[in-house]
Amino acid sequence: MSNEPTDAGRGGENVAGEAPETDAGTVTDETTEHDDTQLERTIGLTGGLAIGVGTMIGAGIFVFPGLAAENAGLAATLSFAIGGVVALLVALPTSELATAMPRSGGGYYFVSRGMGTAYGAIVGLGLWLGLMFASAFYLVGLGHYASAVLAELGVSLGFSPVIATGLVFGVVLTAVSIGGTENTSAVQNVVVGVLLVVLTVFLSYGVLDAVGVFGRETAPETFFSQGYFPVLSTAALVFTSYLGFAQVATVAGEIKEPSRNLPLAMVGSVVVVTVFYVVTIFVATSAFGAERLGQFGETAMVEVARDLLGTPGAIAILGAGLLATFSSANASILSASRSVYALSRDALLPRKASEVNLRYGTPHVALLAAGGPIVVLVATGQVELLAEVASFLHLVMYGLMCVTLVVLRRRDPEWYDPSFEVPGYPVVPVLGALASFALVAFMQPASIGVGVVVMAAAYGWYRYYAGSVDLEGAI
Amino acid sequence: MTDRPSILVPVRVLEGESIPDGVPELLADTNVVLLGYHVIPDQTAAGQARLQFEDRANRRLAEFRELFEEAGATVETRLVFTHDGQQTIDRTIYEQDCLAVLAPNATSDVEDVLVAVRGTVGADRLTRVVAGVFGDRDVTVTLYHVVGEGETEEDGETLLDGLVERLVGLGVDEDRLETRVEHDGNAPDAIVGAADDYDAVVMGETDPSLATYVFGLPADQVADRFLGPVLVVQRERPDDGDDGA
Repeated sequence: MSNEPTDAGRGGENVAGEAPETDAGTVTDETTEHDDTQLERTIGLTGGLAIGVGTMIGAGIFVFPGLAAENAGLAATLSFAIGGVVALLVALPTSELATAMPRSGGGYYFVSRGMGTAYGAIVGLGLWLGLMFASAFYLVGLGHYASAVLAELGVSLGFSPVIATGLVFGVVLTAVSIGGTENTSAVQNVVVGVLLVVLTVFLSYGVLDAVGVFGRETAPETFFSQGYFPVLSTAALVFTSYLGFAQVATVAGEIKEPSRNLPLAMVGSVVVVTVFYVVTIFVATSAFGAERLGQFGETAMVEVARDLLGTPGAIAILGAGLLATFSSANASILSASRSVYALSRDALLPRKASEVNLRYGTPHVALLAAGGPIVVLVATGQVELLAEVASFLHLVMYGLMCVTLVVLRRRDPEWYDPSFEVPGYPVVPVLGALASFALVAFMQPASIGVGVVVMAAAYGWYRYYAGSVDLEGAI
Repeated sequence: MTDRPSILVPVRVLEGESIPDGVPELLADTNVVLLGYHVIPDQTAAGQARLQFEDRANRRLAEFRELFEEAGATVETRLVFTHDGQQTIDRTIYEQDCLAVLAPNATSDVEDVLVAVRGTVGADRLTRVVAGVFGDRDVTVTLYHVVGEGETEEDGETLLDGLVERLVGLGVDEDRLETRVEHDGNAPDAIVGAADDYDAVVMGETDPSLATYVFGLPADQVADRFLGPVLVVQRERPDDGDDGA
């Protein structure tokens, strides 16, 4: 696959007089080429899947089961399934867009090129901020696991260590990212592999137990114990567990054989985590019943493991929970920094924001711009609010990506030549857009309010800072 | 350029690496593929590094290019931003059809060259490199073989004689060719020991195995310990262009 760069060059300038970088280069299976300069593509299918699964699995399994069961009862299983279907409806169109534009920036890149700068700015700045909310949410989850570990060890601090540990890890992660750890992606692959093995063993045992193989009584109950509406509002809440596949698109510029690996990594990671989530909730609710599960809160899975496998099980899940939430937070911070780069390349943020540090070779400004606000957000400690705002901002992007696909298909510009075409056009992208926007409506008013303010601020920034920048079709 | 062997010279262009003395002269008769590359951490997008460093890197590469051209080589340059330097080098070897990679170390006038021969596999490419780089110069080439298990000294001599014949066939003066067979067990150690008396080493790439995984590739071991330049002749690359890496 190769899509020749069209003569973009419409450009425009931002307030600081910086123009978008217009030379997008030529895409090959192994590089992006700009004349004699090449950018090596180094992430394979495994790496892509690890980014997607690694970002997602932390939240859905290790933070949400208790909260979801409390809100929706046994039907929380259905909430996760709904979330998975919506994610899949969006992942398919995203795959098509990504194979047509395998560049850094993901959803922002697609929307800004397909629908113009204003929508692009809302999505891009929204994505950057949304990833911060997501990171903060994972870090609070991490804090819950860290304090559960302390409780397990019998250490009592006299205050709740949840937020404190979240803050510490937030600062450490940012510092480590700036300090340039080598091979972070190799570590990520291993972490995800270990997690999947631990979970598979645990869940297999749990399923056998739930269907009565071990002859224990399980807790049968009404499926819709809380009614129908909470199923949808819970789906909106837990949708944060499905944000990771879009992170694959933010590194689309670095994926090898993008036409094959991008769709496989995105759709594949959604399918994998959906299965894991649904089974997890099923096992968890079977072990305890939804009501008791809800009382355990964020670390409910530890109690489920203790019930099924005793203390060793609890320790394994505690360890897995720490790893999973840590890797999710890490992946989100890195994606946030990639978004800053994409925005500053297009002059929507100052060029300075994506500057690379000479000593470590890392984008320290962008990482600080992500890490700083994350620490502030962690300090609020509002798990559900953070999760919903993150979902809100992502869902807006998802909806707009689906719309972008329909717009591009209808307009059919010369440069639009995806190698993967979404099946069931136009039904799938239209449903994807409708479902994304609909899910937003089921969120708590506070989350919607914060989300709308963030979007308005993003639009305001665009009008003020880069009103004359034109990116539409600048491939 | 047709009969000039293409030799890859990889340079970490932004980390102060430069072309050591004597290297341009060494490769004067070749087609130099000058690969300037910059390894960036996973946190950084390759395009991000390009925006900031491309101009500076290209200026350095232009200086290096001039050095090689003054010495008489033909030169192709490339600049790559990558997260994985080895992947970039391997890809460039394949795409540019390079016969050998140079591990650059400083050297004075090259008068004696050690050519380590492992076996008949890859001998064709090895002789093409030797003939292409040293064929038209006043250089003594010593073909060197370390006898392995189940192999006699005669086997080693037959092997080297076969290579001498090939080189003469490629137009190398027979008077400048010598052969030497050794018994020392460990090939990399023996090569490094023997290389002390020579100005440059030519050797083949080996297939990765468990031992190479633990101790590193023999060619890398030699390049790390020998003070002069080492030309590592590359294996034949698969032709289909897709090795699924």
